[in-house]
Amino acid sequence: MYTIVSPRVGTPGEEYTPAEGTNVEALLLGGFIVKTVKAKPASSKDDKIEPNKE
Amino acid sequence: MATSTYLSNPVVTVNSVDLTDQCTAATFTHRFDSLEATSFGDTARNFVKGLGNHEVTLSLYMSYASSETYATLAALVGTATNVEIKTATGTPSPTAPNFVLTGGFLSELPVINSTMGELSTVDITFVGGDFAVVTAGP
Repeated sequence: MYTIVSPRVGTPGEEYTPAEGTNVEALLLGGFIVKTVKAKPASSKDDKIEPNKE
Repeated sequence: MATSTYLSNPVVTVNSVDLTDQCTAATFTHRFDSLEATSFGDTARNFVKGLGNHEVTLSLYMSYASSETYATLAALVGTATNVEIKTATGTPSPTAPNFVLTGGFLSELPVINSTMGELSTVDITFVGGDFAVVTAGP
């Protein structure tokens, strides 16, 4: 997933979806977009944890 | 009679980056190689369409500031990318089409082209790739 940094590409902060043929590496090197990693959802309280039987 | 005030309000995009405010001239050529098909009995040369050989040339002010001309083009030299020229802002239509070159190759970038007392400009050319005309919005 990529996020827009420069207003020359779109609205800063919005997700960037590259069109076919777009050189994403060049956009990253130029600082126009950044690669973002989606945060993992926190585990819920209902998650069951198997006790260690040993 | 002349009908177009060229290009008074276009949008120029290179690799998804809007460089309109750095661009002063654009030439988009839709071209095919012409293959000779003349044979005995013909009284004139005949040609048929060969491979597409499209080309976009842009004149841009050179700027080394962040998110400007150099930052856009430096990493594109020796690679292929998309170039789009909208003849007008807004939704494309048959009378205001968008021209798109997909996979145009940028072989060179003049990194300095300057004269004392003048703004630095560079001319770049994208060659090859697929040509498309967009006459309707998404």
